[in-house]
Amino acid sequence: MGHLNPEILARLVDQTPEPEEADHLALCEACTTELEALRAQTAELGSLPELLPPQGDWRVLEARLRSEGLIRDPGLFARLGLAETPGWMRVAAAIVLFLGGTAFGAALTSRGASARLASLEGDPTPVATPVSQEVAEDHLQQAEQSYVSALAQYREVMADRGTGAATADPRNRFAALEYLVAASQAAVRQAPTDPFLNGLLASTLAEREATLRRISTQQDNWF
Amino acid sequence: MSESQLIQQAVEGDARAVRALYDRYAPRVYAVVRRIAGDDELAQDYAQEAWIRAIRALPSFRGDARFSTWLHRIAVNAALQAIRKAETRRKHEAPSPEQVPVEPKAGDALLQRRLEVALDRLPEGMRRVIILHDVEGYTHDEIGDVLGVAPGTSKSQLFKARAKMREMLSALDVTEQDHGVEVWGT
Repeated sequence: MGHLNPEILARLVDQTPEPEEADHLALCEACTTELEALRAQTAELGSLPELLPPQGDWRVLEARLRSEGLIRDPGLFARLGLAETPGWMRVAAAIVLFLGGTAFGAALTSRGASARLASLEGDPTPVATPVSQEVAEDHLQQAEQSYVSALAQYREVMADRGTGAATADPRNRFAALEYLVAASQAAVRQAPTDPFLNGLLASTLAEREATLRRISTQQDNWF
Repeated sequence: MSESQLIQQAVEGDARAVRALYDRYAPRVYAVVRRIAGDDELAQDYAQEAWIRAIRALPSFRGDARFSTWLHRIAVNAALQAIRKAETRRKHEAPSPEQVPVEPKAGDALLQRRLEVALDRLPEGMRRVIILHDVEGYTHDEIGDVLGVAPGTSKSQLFKARAKMREMLSALDVTEQDHGVEVWGT
């Protein structure tokens, strides 16, 4: 019998030799050496290291992910803690009330005093009369901060009560987000240049898209 | 933060969570697509495609398999499908060893570089099978599923690939001996 051919030796790297192949290997040093070399080669292939992607790879990927709407920065929505807030409908209702007040306040700061006073007439909301635009903006900022702080406390209390189940169903979440989007849009219409309201609207829209994507994916086959 | 928390946040579209997953698994994803592609430029495109697919499919990840396994399979499929699509436009020239950004253990660098070069020079069908089997640890049944071939075909390609690798590595040894480079003894 001649030497074992390379493909047979390659097979014997991880398979048991036939009796005649074993007999040959027992007598042939060249084939045994070659088989050992193939085994070493296979072992080395199995321990090849991971490879670093090229520099800048993440930036390219990030741009694509953003362009497809697959990622976003944790916007105002997340910073407020809304992404994890239980009791969505209650929070949504609270925000709608808040947005009404904030948009109204923002509108006041961006309009003239006469318009402001005219708008106040007949409105039951107890809005403090600002003495200047700066003071009004300061009031608004304080109100926003108070709101964020109150929301954080609310989240803690609700978390302690273990009422997170409502967030488990993305459909509930989507319904609440629809409500929030509508309210945010109404608020932005009243105060189109207000950064807080625009930020909240953008974040809420993004959150709604993400939730919708989650629902659609759940309806598809699981991977 | 645990991996499942990261995944959940990534599902929600949190850029920081996606970046954290990328940092954790990018070398593994890049390694498998680079070896399948046999080309740096294509590899970057394939890796990007793999990540886009994975992030899109992330909400469907149920945790039945490990995330790394799930991601790895997506990367392999992305690379293979991209190759099929681009087959006619494919560049066949092998990159020089210096273009392969490898982070080897000290002392193994030369051997690993030779293996990478030899892998790049294998015919495509053989390369896919030997990478999936000997490098990535797939079984012949799994390779059959991924490549759409019979397990017997996968075996046959593997044995040819191993033999061809051995032949090329021996040739590389001779070439480098002629140029006075340190030789990998087998």
